[in-house]
Amino acid sequence: MLAELSIIAVRGIGIGAVYAIIAMSFNVVFSSSGILNFAQGTMFILGGFAGYMVIGESVASWPLWLAALLLATVIVAVVVTVQGALTLMPLKDSVEQHSWLISTMAVSVILTATLMLVQGPYSWTVQSPIPSFTIFGMRTPAPYALAVVAMFFWYFVLRWFLNKTLTGLAISAISQDMDAARAAGLRVRRLQLLAFTISGVIVGSAGFIVAPVVTLSADAGMRYVLHGFIAAVVGGIGSNGGAVLGGILLGLLSMFVTFQLGGAYQDILSLVLLVAVLMIRPEGIFGRSSARRV
Amino acid sequence: MNKSGTSIVSDTTADAVALATGPVAGPRLNSDLVQLVIAITLVIIFGLVPNFVGNPYWTQTLQILILYASVSVLQNVLLVDAGQASFGQGAIFGLGAYAAAMAFGLYQMPWIFAVGMGLVGALIGGIIFALPALRVQNFHLGFVTLSAAIVFPQVVVILNDWTNGINGIIVSVPQLTNAGLFGASYLSIVITCFGIAVLCFHYALRRTRFGRRMRVAAASPEAAMALGISPGVMRSVAFIVTAIGIGFAGVMYLPIVGFVTPSAFSLDLSMLFFFAIVVGGRGQILGPILGIIILYFLPNVVFAQFLDYRLLAYGAVTLAVVLLFPDGIVGSFEKWRIKRRHATPDGGLRLDRMIADDLVPAAVGKPVTQAGDVVVKVRGGSKTFGSVVALDGVDLDIRRGEIHGLIGANGSGKTSLLNVLSGFSRLSGGTVSIKDAEITRLSASQIARLGIGRTFQTPRVFSFFSIWDNLRVGLDANPNVDAQLKKRAGALKGRLDTQSAEWLPHGQRRLVEVMRVVLQNADVLLLDEPAAGLSPEERVRFSELLKYLRDTLGTTIILVEHDLDLVLGIADRITVLDTGRVVATGAPAEIASNPAAKHMFVKARNA
Amino acid sequence: MLSINNLVSGYGTVPVLHGISFDVAPGEVLLIGGENGAGKSTLLRTVGGFISADSGSVSVAGREVTKTSPEDRVKAGLRLVLDGHRIFPEMSVFDNLRLGASKALGKDGFEQAVQDIFAVFPILDEKRRNYGRDLSGGQQQMLALGQAFVAQPKVLLCDEPSLGLAQALLPSILQFLRKWANSGTAVVIVEQHLDIAREFADRMLIMERGQMLPESA
Repeated sequence: MLAELSIIAVRGIGIGAVYAIIAMSFNVVFSSSGILNFAQGTMFILGGFAGYMVIGESVASWPLWLAALLLATVIVAVVVTVQGALTLMPLKDSVEQHSWLISTMAVSVILTATLMLVQGPYSWTVQSPIPSFTIFGMRTPAPYALAVVAMFFWYFVLRWFLNKTLTGLAISAISQDMDAARAAGLRVRRLQLLAFTISGVIVGSAGFIVAPVVTLSADAGMRYVLHGFIAAVVGGIGSNGGAVLGGILLGLLSMFVTFQLGGAYQDILSLVLLVAVLMIRPEGIFGRSSARRV
Repeated sequence: MNKSGTSIVSDTTADAVALATGPVAGPRLNSDLVQLVIAITLVIIFGLVPNFVGNPYWTQTLQILILYASVSVLQNVLLVDAGQASFGQGAIFGLGAYAAAMAFGLYQMPWIFAVGMGLVGALIGGIIFALPALRVQNFHLGFVTLSAAIVFPQVVVILNDWTNGINGIIVSVPQLTNAGLFGASYLSIVITCFGIAVLCFHYALRRTRFGRRMRVAAASPEAAMALGISPGVMRSVAFIVTAIGIGFAGVMYLPIVGFVTPSAFSLDLSMLFFFAIVVGGRGQILGPILGIIILYFLPNVVFAQFLDYRLLAYGAVTLAVVLLFPDGIVGSFEKWRIKRRHATPDGGLRLDRMIADDLVPAAVGKPVTQAGDVVVKVRGGSKTFGSVVALDGVDLDIRRGEIHGLIGANGSGKTSLLNVLSGFSRLSGGTVSIKDAEITRLSASQIARLGIGRTFQTPRVFSFFSIWDNLRVGLDANPNVDAQLKKRAGALKGRLDTQSAEWLPHGQRRLVEVMRVVLQNADVLLLDEPAAGLSPEERVRFSELLKYLRDTLGTTIILVEHDLDLVLGIADRITVLDTGRVVATGAPAEIASNPAAKHMFVKARNA
Repeated sequence: MLSINNLVSGYGTVPVLHGISFDVAPGEVLLIGGENGAGKSTLLRTVGGFISADSGSVSVAGREVTKTSPEDRVKAGLRLVLDGHRIFPEMSVFDNLRLGASKALGKDGFEQAVQDIFAVFPILDEKRRNYGRDLSGGQQQMLALGQAFVAQPKVLLCDEPSLGLAQALLPSILQFLRKWANSGTAVVIVEQHLDIAREFADRMLIMERGQMLPESA
């Protein structure tokens, strides 16, 4: 019993960290442009694929692993940036302000299909160069710990970037008051694009790091985008602190469900959680920014 | 029509000729009918011709095409006519199919009973989707429906014991698939008829009161509430009605393929239904069929050797369309056609005349009940937003048949008060009653049904409607339309049904809203800065019109307005607000000399 | 410095400005008055690039900027201070100033400009580490002006600086704008409190229903 609880806790927090990272990458784009990138989950998967396509499925040496991490991050960042440029393009003077809903979804489908063509419908099992470790007497694959490290890393890096650097402050400024930001001469479009790039860096590196413990298949992207979204909604969209809490909560819940009922129930319970939060508290459990109530 | 109607409003000089510009033999505003005919022709060809040729492969493929297209048509209704973006209609389709397959294939129920089960299954799905739609919209709803689409096949697998899990269910309905009438199977006939029925449903829906009100609710929930429509009800009905149709399509999918597995209803299917509309043209009758042909038929049949690229093609085509032709294929063509053939309406269109000549006489004759009694009463009204006090102990009496001006500086609470009166926001303290009915806690749509009409700072005029349909939604909200009003309104229809509202100049848009409220039979009008954006001449005409409505219909008019000259010129009484309090109430002359309000009348130019 | 020629604009189909023309010289303070809804804010927003002009032209220091984005106009030396003391609430006073700074200023120039601001509004110095949201309305207005000042524009447009402020504060803010203009900046102020604002202006124009009334000196 205790053993089971500690597995749920350790792996739940680990997988929750992944959801939290995806949720934070959502937030970066959302707060600068009001866009929720439906392709973010596929980008996450792309990060894993891109890296391991280079180093192969077997255990890689440390330097090679780091090089692959860098490469995966750059590839995803570039792809997301291109996607961002395409997504922002019709928003310039279009009346149809919700075209992003469709265009980001279309990009997600395109990427999934491309991965499917390249890799087939099978999921990959890849090895981490870092050995498993033991916590509470449980052998735990290292990527779970790495995910938690990455989550805190990005949380604090984003905090620093958005609050301390001039560029980060400018992105924060857009989310606080778009008109005032433009009046102050901030290059809104360029900053929004940069936010896409940053979200790509976050999600691409995370995808590579945790690849050994997640289902790495072409069509898994949708699951991750949903779980990232649920984490963001639970935490309150736009709040990175909320994303961390929401992600962990969701991770623990889905691990608990997996152990109690079986893995097949994970997505269903997540959907129930999403609907419950939206019906009861659309602004999120920890959040202030509100969903559009009607 | 004719210029016989004597103009009561303002001058009768040269511009009365404008009325003679009558029915423009202009182009049709939309090509719905043409599109419907093309679409039905396609369905008939796809549904029946392969039967006679006797090619089972083509028969099957084209039957599926019709079913998918029908689902897309219904998704089109949901997305455009009801304004609900759902990425999960594939799950509804699957629910219909699985409920029927289980009943027929696993529990050996009669086919007809299985069909019923399928419809019930889809109906339950529709209700489940409608619930979150009451609460959230846009991308939130998109994600909920998206996850439902992902979860559906998983649920089927989990419920292994009842659904046969990943092994699927065999469904063979020979009495349907065997040749029936004139060489066509009953299945083909049913599917063809279903396709036609769905198309006709979409076409007809737009021409009903209900369909128009649904579109208004989708485009502007505020305008809908002001017309007594509850947007939540509209959304729920849209989800439920389309779910039943989609469920039927799901049921009919069974005899075509003869076998179902959970993987047939994956996310890809939901994406196909949604993307088909985007590619074909959102809101266009023909759009979904064209979209399904491009996204399903071409990749599967013409480029069958590239089947692996099908998903890629979905995404790429959709992305290209969103970026290059945001209106979709049919939509872009429509836009081009209308632009090319439709000149902007002539400046001579005098809607104010039409109100005076056509509408008002029809409405006159109903008893103007004792002018002078208090019709709107606010007592101790206060409203706070967080720490900001918008209204602070407001007492207000509006008498029947008066034009009552509400004036005050920016942020004095005028618009807050108007929103409280029309139910768009609720008082934090105090009471409001209208016509002796307490309305403090009523919703905006309930208040509208009491005969309270309002206009908005930005006129809610819908470019997808003709000018006539823009007015007609007012008539739709009128509970007792008598024959005379109908006849008079019919006269307007002839003149305005072929005119698009898209290029109406602002001044005319304002009048469209006022005409709409008159047609709504509202006897209390709340006007929110109606003169903003009107030219000086238009302001004069507009004031004349308001006076005319008061004098002939006995309409009570509450006017929030910055143009003090206008208010002083037409108001019977004026209330001055300052930081949420009433500082003065009285006749214009009293107000102008009241020390508390005086500073407002010190003209900038005299400063 | 600023030259507006026959400007026509509006929101969507709502026409608001019906052909506005005026010029402002370097060092001049132009006061624009008029009733609510006369189109004053629309005028400033059109000049600032937030509303695209249907016709007419806007030039800053001889350069036409009619078709450019608000960001490009800032670069060209045109700075609009929106009404309602719009600053960034979730960051410190100092960060608000940093974001407004012109790149051309350099580090020393920026520090000097900030010192100038703090000299005029010492309260901002005191609260330099506080969040924008913690300031009073008047302090936020000072900060909004400070943010514009560090951009060192050639033309400053100021929309209703008195809005939501205690009237007693207005003279000090106008005094600041006056001094600023004296250093060669062209300043346009839209204001309702004309009686107070007039003392600080060189010229006054009145708008009515989207048109400029003929000048009556």
